[in-house]
Amino acid sequence: MKPHRSPLGRGLLACAAVLLALGLADAAIHHVFAQNPFGAPKQAPAAEPGASGLIGWLLAKQSEFYRQMSSTIRAAKSDGSAVWTLLFISFAYGIFHAAGPGHGKAVIASYLVANRETLRRGIALSFASALMQSLVAILIVGISAWILNATARTMCKAEGAIEIASYGLIALFGLRLVWVKGRTFIRALQATQPVPAMAGVPHDHHDDGHHHHDAHDDHHHNDHHGHDHGHAHHHHGHDHVHDEHCGHTHGPTPSELAGPGGWRRGFAAILTVGIRPCSGAILVLVFALAQGLFWAGIAATFLMGLGTAITVATIAVVAVSAKDIAGRLSASRAGGGALFMRGIEFAAAALVLLFGAGLLLGYVAAERTTCF
Amino acid sequence: MRALGWLLAVALTLVAGAASAHPHVWITASSELLYAEDGSITGVRHAWTFDDMFSAYAVQGLEAKKKGAYTREELGPLAQTNVESLKEYAYFTFAKADGKKERFGEPVDYYLDYKDSVLTLHFTLPLKTPLKPKQLMLEVFDRSFFIDFQMAKENPVKLVGAPTGCQMKLDRPSDGSATAQKLNEQTFTDGPNANFGMMFANKITVDCP
Repeated sequence: MKPHRSPLGRGLLACAAVLLALGLADAAIHHVFAQNPFGAPKQAPAAEPGASGLIGWLLAKQSEFYRQMSSTIRAAKSDGSAVWTLLFISFAYGIFHAAGPGHGKAVIASYLVANRETLRRGIALSFASALMQSLVAILIVGISAWILNATARTMCKAEGAIEIASYGLIALFGLRLVWVKGRTFIRALQATQPVPAMAGVPHDHHDDGHHHHDAHDDHHHNDHHGHDHGHAHHHHGHDHVHDEHCGHTHGPTPSELAGPGGWRRGFAAILTVGIRPCSGAILVLVFALAQGLFWAGIAATFLMGLGTAITVATIAVVAVSAKDIAGRLSASRAGGGALFMRGIEFAAAALVLLFGAGLLLGYVAAERTTCF
Repeated sequence: MRALGWLLAVALTLVAGAASAHPHVWITASSELLYAEDGSITGVRHAWTFDDMFSAYAVQGLEAKKKGAYTREELGPLAQTNVESLKEYAYFTFAKADGKKERFGEPVDYYLDYKDSVLTLHFTLPLKTPLKPKQLMLEVFDRSFFIDFQMAKENPVKLVGAPTGCQMKLDRPSDGSATAQKLNEQTFTDGPNANFGMMFANKITVDCP
């Protein structure tokens, strides 16, 4: 077991280092900004009191950018160059807004982990869902306020209805993922049971004989994990024999994942996350409309979406990489490795379902639209 | 292996995190505590001025005889809607008399006015039962922090007809008061329902002899 343990240990050490670095960065940022809260403490008193650390800083930052938007839109009425400021503020707001905790990223990240998605698709999904979010906000305001001249009350109710629908969609989406991943997980569980009739089923036992057996099976193992990897990175292009015992038999093949069918499934994720517009974007759009600068509001909304997409894509990259690392580390273990990965996927699927149900039932408080 | 699972759990928690929002609506509030002749508190009269963005949003689609100027009558239906919907949020006003929670009845005398392109909502919240406590504590805040309440810079709280000797103290959230400082990042990340709006509460305390 010695050679197995060391890469695992090294990996864990690396992970610990990353976590430590994050913690230090957080403390450092807090320290720096505690001295002089953003230069203008009167401008952003909202999230300032007691809000310490990285999250407090993010909250304060986005608050600050958001508050600047209305004055910038007003300024843009007389001074065209203020539009550039507005675009920059919107973009920055998008980045910070998405960096704060929220369910959209959680759903995307969990989906990516559950579905063995590639980095490239993770990024594409993040951008597509952010773009859709922007479009939904523009459509809501464009149709209801601009064309129908509906009241804020009506708009807010529509927003609330969409919110509930989106939570329902997340729950449904999670349910589907749990169903698919649960079956795969159970199959992986069964595959690790020692079945005498199946020679060469990778399993980890304590007698020395198995070590010998393991060594012989090494080639198989690599193949199997190469396969796992192949899901994540197509460019590896491993030519492999499908292992009947790894629990992939009825799971999606790499071509299914990357092919057009995969995009159809990806679309479900985009729809689930993207259908719910950001309340902030709606307020900005209505305000811009009232100022006679609807186009500036639209531009600002797209820039907000772009900023959001960049942050969500970063989180998606972290999630996919973390899973890849976990996959590589667990590859040093025998059959348990595959089981472990299927377990993670199942857990991620369950997380999506829990989010949906929690949001729907009000256990998970999201940025809820308050109509009054 | 367990450590790895733990690592992934941490990663996912970071991603999911606590529910969070930043305020979308800013209210500058001033409040009057109303006293009856016998020295008991009968209710609170609020005047809440919304920020310009929300004001523009709220008057969207409303008809006005003169463009950009809304009369109290024209805003009547909106004021009605406002106070009706505020009920769900307990009017964002929480009273405690000598440590005991007190309830408010339906708001009265409510109206909106529109000046310098911002809306101000006026309404009076009568206490269900008038009280004569030694200490009254009144908090104004939104626990979900969708709305950021700030007490006005000038005359934030007025005691109307209070017995002589009553002392009023206002704790603003930005004061960095003892409780606010005790709350740290833990408050944001503790559980999915972290009520971090709490730390943004405006606390009015009135001590009477």
